[in-house]
Amino acid sequence: MREFIILYRKELKGYFTSPFGWVVLAFASVMSGLSLSTAMKGFTDNAIADTLVYAAFHTPHFWFSFLFLFPLITMKLFSEEERLGTIETLFTAPVTTGQVVLSKYAAAVTFYILLWVPSLFQFLAFDWITSIPAPYDQGSLIGSYSIIFLMGLYFTAIGCLASSLTSSQIIAGIVTIGILLLHYFLGYVTFIWGNDFAAAGVFYQISSQLHLDEFSRGVISSPPFVYYLSMTAFVLFITHHHVDHRRWKK
Amino acid sequence: MIHVQQLSKRFGRHQAVDGISFDVSEGEIVGFLGPNGAGKTTTLRMLTGYLPPTSGNASINGFDVFKQSVKARRSIGYMPEDVPLYREMTVKEYLTFRAKLKGVKGRAVRSQVNQTISECGLSDRRRKPIATLSKGYRQRVGLADALVHRPELLILDEPTNGLDPNQIIAIRKLIQELAKKHTILLSTHILSEVEMICSKVVIIDQGKIKACDTPSNLVQGMRHAGRIQFEVKADPIQVRKKLSALTEIKKVLHGGKQAGWEQFEIIVDSGTETRERLSNLAAQERWPVKTLYRHEGRLEDVFVELTRRD
Repeated sequence: MREFIILYRKELKGYFTSPFGWVVLAFASVMSGLSLSTAMKGFTDNAIADTLVYAAFHTPHFWFSFLFLFPLITMKLFSEEERLGTIETLFTAPVTTGQVVLSKYAAAVTFYILLWVPSLFQFLAFDWITSIPAPYDQGSLIGSYSIIFLMGLYFTAIGCLASSLTSSQIIAGIVTIGILLLHYFLGYVTFIWGNDFAAAGVFYQISSQLHLDEFSRGVISSPPFVYYLSMTAFVLFITHHHVDHRRWKK
Repeated sequence: MIHVQQLSKRFGRHQAVDGISFDVSEGEIVGFLGPNGAGKTTTLRMLTGYLPPTSGNASINGFDVFKQSVKARRSIGYMPEDVPLYREMTVKEYLTFRAKLKGVKGRAVRSQVNQTISECGLSDRRRKPIATLSKGYRQRVGLADALVHRPELLILDEPTNGLDPNQIIAIRKLIQELAKKHTILLSTHILSEVEMICSKVVIIDQGKIKACDTPSNLVQGMRHAGRIQFEVKADPIQVRKKLSALTEIKKVLHGGKQAGWEQFEIIVDSGTETRERLSNLAAQERWPVKTLYRHEGRLEDVFVELTRRD
């Protein structure tokens, strides 16, 4: 546990001691601001039955900027250590592979959560600045941020895995965004092919778009929790084994 | 301290380390010698738990490096070959992080980091980011990292690699200083370094141990230790005939004629004294002698003899 905390703090600090982390944070807050202002423009143009939170999470550029966050925050995690050779000093210190993988993952998730702070602040600021009662309810706010958190857990784990596969950050980033885009488009299968085939249910279950749609209306259900948490555990398990694989006797 | 038994490592078809066994006891400074690609780094990586052995086993301080890896690693300070460091950290930040990670706790962190910084001559660079340091200073940071948790055993992989002569002298002095308190296993291919520092030498080539002894024993036991240079003015065929008749002489090599002097190289059995008999012979035959010199054996000769490919 002690080693985990030391490693976690070092990783988290790493996001803020280089300009890189601040650029990502700026990018995330600009994109969420853009989403909010797009949603507000929609409200002034037409009568909309949805809440402001729902509209902000359904702007055309939401998924685009959202999916790109993950390669940015995870690509360095293992590939940088591999490239610099510091993986050798890291694994010759008295630490276990589990501590290393979990600390890196936890730091990435923490940074990801911090990326959403500006967006939450923007929703709250709507009320403070306009003194119009905010056109959203607690449910949609809580729902949206819980699904954002759940998706973040899973997608960050995928980034972690991709980063452990290669010593090139670029390749790690491309693999991450590739998997995430694939996962995203699998969520559209039922929209394209309809749902009169046997596996349609599976595609409903893994569709992040549908999850976000439900949760941002304030409909919080358990299957997405099970799906994202178990997939996170599974991907981290593979990451652990892949990193540990150098220690296997061949 | 270190106990290695039949340790092997195979990378695909390439047998990097082939069944080596050796022991290092407490307080020893052992030089791990070998040409490039001999398997030095691979062996050290297995000892530090970074690579698993294909077969055989090794233990450090009684802990198996594979099965009880974390425990074994606690007593090791390891400096890898090309000294990988986190470049964006400052020297002090880096050493503090490493000290904590390697189990130094509480107030000891600060005092040990400061002490290590001054021991390694990094005091004036403590606040500098590692990326801005020169190679020599990075090497010192690597050494400081190996030292910072006061391990019982230091494993240094080519610690003076790529340094200028002044820096090499500084690092060597530092290692000699450290030798008073630590057991050291040091890999290198610089022989003068080993002669100066080490109390024991392990020579490895193509994954196998070729010799394991003190430097002086190695030199004494070497064939070429008894190499005598002999320059005379006489008929070379006569000389060769007369010399070969003497006992304890292995080989007489004629090196040709230079300005009227015939050059000979005489290989004798080690541990014998032949010069007196040679000078007597020359006097008896009335050969004018210019040179009669016995070469001192050096570790370099041992190394070349053991690892030469031709």
